[in-house]
Amino acid sequence: MLFALLGILIGVVVGLILPITYSPTYALYISVAILACLDSVFGGVRANLENTFDTRIFISGFFGNAILAAFLAYIGDRLGVPLYYAAIFAFGGRLFDNFASIRRILLFKRGARKKKEEIKEE
Amino acid sequence: MKKISKFNSILFVFSILLGFLIVTQMKQNVESYNLVTLKSIQVTKNEINNAHDEIKEMKSLIEIKKGELKKIEKIKGNSNENIHDVLIEGVEETKAIAGLTDMEGPGIVIKMQDNQDTEIKGVEISDDVIHDMDILMILNDLRVAGAEAISINGQRVMPMSEIKCGGPIVKINGKSLGTPFIIKAIGDPKLLYAAVNAPGTHGYEIKNFNKINVKSNMEDNVFIPGYSGRFKFKHAKPIKEGD
Repeated sequence: MLFALLGILIGVVVGLILPITYSPTYALYISVAILACLDSVFGGVRANLENTFDTRIFISGFFGNAILAAFLAYIGDRLGVPLYYAAIFAFGGRLFDNFASIRRILLFKRGARKKKEEIKEE
Repeated sequence: MKKISKFNSILFVFSILLGFLIVTQMKQNVESYNLVTLKSIQVTKNEINNAHDEIKEMKSLIEIKKGELKKIEKIKGNSNENIHDVLIEGVEETKAIAGLTDMEGPGIVIKMQDNQDTEIKGVEISDDVIHDMDILMILNDLRVAGAEAISINGQRVMPMSEIKCGGPIVKINGKSLGTPFIIKAIGDPKLLYAAVNAPGTHGYEIKNFNKINVKSNMEDNVFIPGYSGRFKFKHAKPIKEGD
């Protein structure tokens, strides 16, 4: 978790320094892709806490989900149907799901530790 | 331990990428993702065209004002007598715009008369008589066609002129006028003629359905007198520029 926050911070600084811009036409696709990436990072943290983390799954998910989400938004734009809602709902929902799992794991771990300490003290 | 550090390094790298993406997206300053429909494109296009037209008009206005300013500055350098002339010229122009001076120019003369036949053509007898509303409608048609000065039976139609029904007569500028009504208008004669005679105009309707005598002639030289009455502001007060 700490590494993730630190990494985002460094990324923000790098992004602010580098003068990279793209056409506003792509803004929608990129934003949906960002949502997918965010979900992947949360998923990675959760998997790590559950000890099921796999590098290949993480990396393929990070890029695959982002590309798929952006592609979906693009297709939706072409068809005149706001398909990016599908990506927003799916990844948004998963984001909260992952966060809920992380929360539970962290809270229960600490709770368990405290209980153990209490038992020892007794 | 080894697995965790590997996880952390990967997470670190991808978090950098994520933060980078987020910031570049934020730097785009995208305000909204409203769907663009064909209609909204059309509306926006029209707005842009209107704005362009307005800009053009304003630019031409600026040019005119610049010319006036140059004129005044030129006179300022020469002598005091000339500025007097320019001011009088300005007053004359303002008077003409206000409708206080006699005007001359190409235009049309419309003669309107009640139905003179013994036989009633309309549904009611009042359909065969010219009303204040008929005159108002025709005046509006003339104004749409670009009439620059209008008079009715020698009464100049001013911005504040009333056209009021007074039984068999019509009151304009406080004066009672009876039939036949002679409406004179200065402007593009063809346009003015069309404004009274083209199908769909009020002049055409009363001429063909109510059998009211409406005769219009294009003339090269129409004389329209200035407003002869007095006009005083009772309630309205001019606001000085810069206040």
